[in-house]
Amino acid sequence: MKSEKLIFEKSQNNRKGVLPPEEQSFLTSPEKIFSQGLLRKHKLPLPCLSELDVIRHYTRLSQLNFSVDTHFYPLGSCTMKYNPKISEELSMLEEFKNIHPYQQEEDIQGILELMFNLEKILCEITGMHRFCLQPSAGAHGELTGMLIIGKYHRLKKHKKTKVLVPDSSHGTNPASASMCGYKVIEIKSNSEGLVDIDELNREMDDEVACLMLTNPNTLGLFEEKILDIKDIVHKKGGLLYYDGANLNALLGICKIRDMGFDVIHMNLHKTFSTPHGGGGPGAGPVGVTEELVEFLPVPLVEKNHNHFILNYKLKNSIGRVRSFYANIPVLVKAYSYILRLGKEGLKRVALYSVLNANYIREKLKSYYNVASPKPCMHEVVFSAIKQKQQGVSALDIAKKLIDEGIHPPTIYFPLIVQEALMIEPTETENKETLDYFIEIMIKIAKEAETSPENFKNYPKNTPVSRLDETQAARNPILKWQSPPLGD
Amino acid sequence: MPYIPHTPEDIQHMLTTIGVNSPEELFNAIPDSIRLKEDLKLPQGLSEYEVFSKVKQIATKNNSLNNFISFLGAGCYNHFVPIAVKHIITRSEFYTAYTPYQPEASQGTLQAIFEYQTFICLLTGIDVTCASLYEGASSLAEAILMAYRIRSRPKILLPANLHPEYKQTIYTYLENLEFLQIIEIPYTEEGTINLDILKKEIDSDTCSVIVSLPNFFGIIEDLNTVSKICKDNSSIFIVSCNPIALSIFKPPAEFGADIVCGDGQVLGQGLFLGGFTFGFLATRTQYVRKMPGRIVGETTDKKGKKGFVLTLQAREQHIRRQKATSNICSNQSLNVIACATYLSLLGPEGFKKIGLLSTNAAHFLYEKLHGIKGLKFPFTGNFFNEFAITLPYNVNEICSKLREKKILAGVPIEKFFPQLKNTLLVATTELTSRRDIEYFVSSLNEVLR
Amino acid sequence: MSTDNLLFTKTHEWVKMENNSAIIGITDYAQHHLGDVVFIELPQIGNSIKQFESFGTIESTKAASDLYAPLSGEIIEANTKLQENPGLINNDPYGEGWIIKIKITDKEETKNLLGPEEYESFLKEENQ
Repeated sequence: MKSEKLIFEKSQNNRKGVLPPEEQSFLTSPEKIFSQGLLRKHKLPLPCLSELDVIRHYTRLSQLNFSVDTHFYPLGSCTMKYNPKISEELSMLEEFKNIHPYQQEEDIQGILELMFNLEKILCEITGMHRFCLQPSAGAHGELTGMLIIGKYHRLKKHKKTKVLVPDSSHGTNPASASMCGYKVIEIKSNSEGLVDIDELNREMDDEVACLMLTNPNTLGLFEEKILDIKDIVHKKGGLLYYDGANLNALLGICKIRDMGFDVIHMNLHKTFSTPHGGGGPGAGPVGVTEELVEFLPVPLVEKNHNHFILNYKLKNSIGRVRSFYANIPVLVKAYSYILRLGKEGLKRVALYSVLNANYIREKLKSYYNVASPKPCMHEVVFSAIKQKQQGVSALDIAKKLIDEGIHPPTIYFPLIVQEALMIEPTETENKETLDYFIEIMIKIAKEAETSPENFKNYPKNTPVSRLDETQAARNPILKWQSPPLGD
Repeated sequence: MPYIPHTPEDIQHMLTTIGVNSPEELFNAIPDSIRLKEDLKLPQGLSEYEVFSKVKQIATKNNSLNNFISFLGAGCYNHFVPIAVKHIITRSEFYTAYTPYQPEASQGTLQAIFEYQTFICLLTGIDVTCASLYEGASSLAEAILMAYRIRSRPKILLPANLHPEYKQTIYTYLENLEFLQIIEIPYTEEGTINLDILKKEIDSDTCSVIVSLPNFFGIIEDLNTVSKICKDNSSIFIVSCNPIALSIFKPPAEFGADIVCGDGQVLGQGLFLGGFTFGFLATRTQYVRKMPGRIVGETTDKKGKKGFVLTLQAREQHIRRQKATSNICSNQSLNVIACATYLSLLGPEGFKKIGLLSTNAAHFLYEKLHGIKGLKFPFTGNFFNEFAITLPYNVNEICSKLREKKILAGVPIEKFFPQLKNTLLVATTELTSRRDIEYFVSSLNEVLR
Repeated sequence: MSTDNLLFTKTHEWVKMENNSAIIGITDYAQHHLGDVVFIELPQIGNSIKQFESFGTIESTKAASDLYAPLSGEIIEANTKLQENPGLINNDPYGEGWIIKIKITDKEETKNLLGPEEYESFLKEENQ
């Protein structure tokens, strides 16, 4: 596959693209309406292309990507499961596409019903009392959660200045807490990779607003002492926040509320299989206990007899975290997925995602160091420390996997594992794919022993290889610059 | 088992390999007291056909704009989107890919985002932009936080004529940050920011001044003067804009904007209840390290071939954690690929036409409405594709009557601005035809008689 | 360059005393762990820094670290060559890769620092 020139480099003066429908009859020139000082002096610097130019360009670009539909994509923590096409189809229905956010409630009963139904389902799955569907990503949900917790404490006149996070936490956790003005304290994990209870006891005090936890954690391990953790935090007046990134392992197995969490977010683009889109859009609905409902962002969707309404009247709402309502198509896709799976299908997601990860763990544990002696849940973390000593890093292993047509697992996360390889196969991968992956990983381990010097040359089968990230950061080129004009 | 490919033989083999008798045994770490003993109280799974029927049935309870002539705007506009955009973003190599952390496996996404970054810089005239934020309101909130990182002063001057939902979002984002103070600058008869009060309020404690272009009332602000007031005070000048306006207006960078942000819904996204969009945030080169969001940069590989990577990642949460410029991780990547495709398809001529036709339709409608007795125009300032009208009596009643004639007359704004009773925001785009306008005017005339 | 006459912090900065002033940089261990340095935020001349408090940040492609002051003082010089060429920190961390020069306020503070051998032992412990 060859690289593509930039779209701007394909421009030809006066080539026409697609024009909007036009009516000349009342067209006035902008100079008659606006002052000269306001108007653009020079021609719009956009490229001139035909429709075929554009289609061919972006189609060819797409072919340079690895994606779930084309490659095994075991990125830990991302849950790269298959994205059902029925979800795509339903999210693009005209009736969902052509509705304006300020149409009256009477005209948008369909989408309101969907949002209401989805909220009820999320409550049932997690045990939380209510959900707000507004946050547009997991991190957005975390920020929302922190704001809710902040307002709760403020109204109760608690002086809370700190948030606790495990050192294995995803970077968005401390970043979200920090955006809310909290000081972040990291709790060290113990040798098994779980929250160190003694450390937690030491750090937990009256000034801690909350503890943010992912469960299973980022090593793919279930925090067995979660009920003790809950007690420690609640005793000192803190709240417990759940990062739902790893919910895939718990669907139908246990409820988040039962573990003692007060505020949670879910990642619809992970657990509920809405596609990742190359980095987004996602959705991060926030769920709370009954006591905290009054703090949720507005509006919520309520049902009045058979009519759905938007409720803006939450007593102590934190306000809004975005304009309008939510990333709508993502909600439609999640809802469709849940309908398709039903209660038994959701539970199977947990059972088989965990089965797949443990199968990989079992088959590779004699070649790569497992990060924890404990069996994993839906993802397994290895350390390539043995290979690193032979001169082959986790990065090198990733590059070789690309050559073998497999998207690499997450590397160098969690930060507490050296040369981390985080593998999350998901439940939608079949045994042949897993076996192929295992076979390749074993082949790599062996090659690392016999010929580590080979790895610096991988990948060989891609249009570009080992891009210079240092240069990119030292001398950033962040857009195309048109060559200087002749005149 | 939908989407789970395991055969009974597969399962048995895997269980044997692992050394357990059932997948349930793999959950023994979970305390028994919280293990669910019953199924979730949800229905059984439906077949694909049944799912389609059910969701389609729910969808048909929406009364889409297909059934109306719409003049609804207020931050979300019904623009023409070339059909080819959909065909690019429904390519699964784009939509089922992840964030391009492994560049060799993601040159498609990376280059498309690089091209998008270029488009935004071309439109706004400013140096650098990120790979997107969620939408316009949170982008403005991020811009304000970014301005504080550049100039740590406590005051933020916000215009009262800013989109109310943007305002609310900013108050929410800043609620916990006690060291920041928001001061609202009222608007004038023109509908523009009160420059006298702005001059009075701005001082050495002012971090940033925000202006939206057009503002919530559709009116165009005097960017030159606001810019000068900012510069004289070394405050950061933030412009939140509708990028369609940039098809004919001078880029905000030429007015001295330090940060330009806004909502990308109008750039090829469609309506979706305002929920399929992206936020853009662009700034000057010297502030790039304070900017939130992912950034794609150009570089070369070990053989000297040009390629693209995520760069300046040390600003972001996965490296910087609590000291990151923002907590943002997932963004609106697919939407910006749609944007790049949209602008490529339209080209300079198509994009300019969209801006021209949108504003022309609005000015034509404005003229025609002046012929209607009893109608008032609360603001005197010049506007882009939207303006306010005040109706002589209950706006809901009038809109209801117009709705019976299949006209969605506009967005009532009394709920946001109680002093603007019976006032509607009326918007047009290039899809508003002369016939639509004449029908609206004659219908309104009829209703008001 | 020899590190015999330098003092060190546990956060991997080195300091070279010169009468009433001191030159500060990061150690070879630090630059190795950071990877290629891509950017350094230099503090302003005239600013005061306090021992063990952060005075700037250093960025590589995969990490960002705070720089902690080995001693308190006033900044009298900053190595502006690093703006153009941050790689100097990687290539010559004890020489051309120096970061700032300060006027020391309290020589007694050197008690809180590690000597070359102590630093070596500290590194060995860290890597256990």
